[in-house]
Amino acid sequence: MDLSGKSYKAFLERQEALRKQYSAKQAEKQHSKGKLTARERITLLFDKGTFEEIDAFVTPANQPVEFGKVERTYGDGVIVGHGKVNGRLIFAYAQDFTIMGGSLGYVHAKKISKIQEMALKMGSPIIGMMDSGGARIQEGVASLSGYASIFHNIISSSGIIPQISVIMGPAAGGAVYSPALTDFVFMVNHTSYMFVTGPNVVKEVLNEDVTFDELGGAQIHAQKSGVAHMIYDDEENTILALKKFLSYIPSNNVENPPSIPDDNSTPDFNEKLRDIVPDDPNKAYDVKDIIQNIVDRNSFFETAELFAPNLVTGFARLKGKTIGIVANQPKVLAGVLDIDSSTKGARFIRFCDAFNIPILTLEDVPGFLPGVDQEHAGIIRHGAKLLFAYSEATVPRITIILRKAYGGAFIVMNSKSLGGDFSFAWPTAEIAVMGPDGAVAILYRKELADSKNPAELKKELVKKYRDKIANPFIADELGYIDEVIDPAMTRQKIISAFSALSNKWVKVPSRKHGNMPL
Amino acid sequence: MNDTPKIDKLYALSSEKKKFSFRLPLSNRIRIGKRNYVVQLKGDEKYGTYILWKNRRYPVEIVRSRQNKYEILFNDISYTFTVETPFSLQRMKVLSSGKGKAEKELIKAPMPGKIIDVPAREGSTILRGETVVILEAMKMQNEILSPVNGKIVRVNAKAGTNVMKDDVLAEIKVE
Repeated sequence: MDLSGKSYKAFLERQEALRKQYSAKQAEKQHSKGKLTARERITLLFDKGTFEEIDAFVTPANQPVEFGKVERTYGDGVIVGHGKVNGRLIFAYAQDFTIMGGSLGYVHAKKISKIQEMALKMGSPIIGMMDSGGARIQEGVASLSGYASIFHNIISSSGIIPQISVIMGPAAGGAVYSPALTDFVFMVNHTSYMFVTGPNVVKEVLNEDVTFDELGGAQIHAQKSGVAHMIYDDEENTILALKKFLSYIPSNNVENPPSIPDDNSTPDFNEKLRDIVPDDPNKAYDVKDIIQNIVDRNSFFETAELFAPNLVTGFARLKGKTIGIVANQPKVLAGVLDIDSSTKGARFIRFCDAFNIPILTLEDVPGFLPGVDQEHAGIIRHGAKLLFAYSEATVPRITIILRKAYGGAFIVMNSKSLGGDFSFAWPTAEIAVMGPDGAVAILYRKELADSKNPAELKKELVKKYRDKIANPFIADELGYIDEVIDPAMTRQKIISAFSALSNKWVKVPSRKHGNMPL
Repeated sequence: MNDTPKIDKLYALSSEKKKFSFRLPLSNRIRIGKRNYVVQLKGDEKYGTYILWKNRRYPVEIVRSRQNKYEILFNDISYTFTVETPFSLQRMKVLSSGKGKAEKELIKAPMPGKIIDVPAREGSTILRGETVVILEAMKMQNEILSPVNGKIVRVNAKAGTNVMKDDVLAEIKVE
């Protein structure tokens, strides 16, 4: 074919110029920092040859800049487009740090907004790969308004399409609120940072010395602040994990989550489950061992693993269908509910509810964490979030009480009266207003004080309390739980229960929105 | 557009930083020292998954996997390792060269409670995930685990004493 015509020549020249823009030298700059280029990230994410770039030749507006200089590059430092990930349509944008530090100018922002609007219209997930120095100072208020419109788009799409942020470099100042608004945040260890004000400002204002990693590294955000949900050691593994994550969630709020054929590798009748919960109620165990033995083999994908590990959240498959799991973790902090675990659980439940993912709750909770700092920091209003999220959720909800289910925490953890659909209990369950020791100390205070041998009397009363009150049978007889089940039958029971609930429909009254205690 | 470079080797990097390389595509021929061995990975209902070598069965189980991190049980011994490519190893070097010297890690009480047992001994080495102290709180014996590999330089916790939240129980020098 002859492409030497005049118009074709310009066309080819332009393409060549774009190719040259992504030079090996720039790639090397990223690689030397342990990072990949925006182009490489896109290539890794999408199925081979499926990515279609949009607006590759857009350049910064030709308005004069009064202060500093703006490079007129093709694409203005961000790659946007769509393609297939494991065969499903996904929209994405990737900021390019090698072009003006990935800074967000007016055109850069316009491109992101455009792809956000497309993703919403098509009902497809959108992924933002951030690697940016922040707002472009030279463009002033235009870049700030760019941020605002990106935020507005995220909020308009929230609960309609899944929105995921992957932090692969710096995200500072206003830029942090874009990931904060999205459903899940992935971060790369050692090479990504998020903070509202950087170490230099902290030094200037507070005279505190702090490194980038200490202030806003992936570890900090995964463990302490809870901003990052999933962190991995390098970008390749982060992107691979992201692809796996996408396989659990539906493309939008109307679709059901994708399902895959079950390989039947997890036995429906599993005697292992009878031995995990120790006989001694003061002994801990790992609730993840129970999860592994209930769900399809190797299908558990934990979210926010390092933040508030006393409550385990994550996705898994049951006969190939996605479910969300919320489980108290007796191994950490005795599995108590505190501020962090309440907010973590609440946000996870709301995601599941928005995207039609049924919720399985595994309950072994001694109560809310007592203490001055928890009370003063607002455990009341934060605990209320979990309560609100559960009660509001209209997706199928099943609870299994493994052991302790005491007091307010019993109510909060998806109890039947909160609208839970099915509530099962293992024979090891203890359902009561409070634990045996506390109850005995309150109800028999006088007797214990008068007794010659209080320790002996207490022991006797505790045993009596356990036999009479703290067991699952009374609740079963009163109908507050549906059935006491053999742990070995758990998988079978929940498969049949979720299948019975598959057409669950709850009519939600018309209102703007509930007023969740934030 | 430049394609991702071709990878011809994978490494298993153990938690003790020992490195084992495997040629791609993976095969059941393994070279150890100067000799080649053939191992077979099999599975059936009776024995579960196992490695067959010289007509003997060695049970193997993936206890946990998280992206490139694995914890496996092999012949009832637990191993943790990560799977690395030549590039990720290279990058690890680049990133770790910028880091400072070994730091200290303070093990603090996560909530008020009573110390039941202190398995950690001053001067001994400790691996990530091993128990430092057992703290009874919320009527539960909580194992406080070491978040790092290192050497225990100080143990403040004494069995039978009460501690408040954020009391320092032990100090570990990160290695």
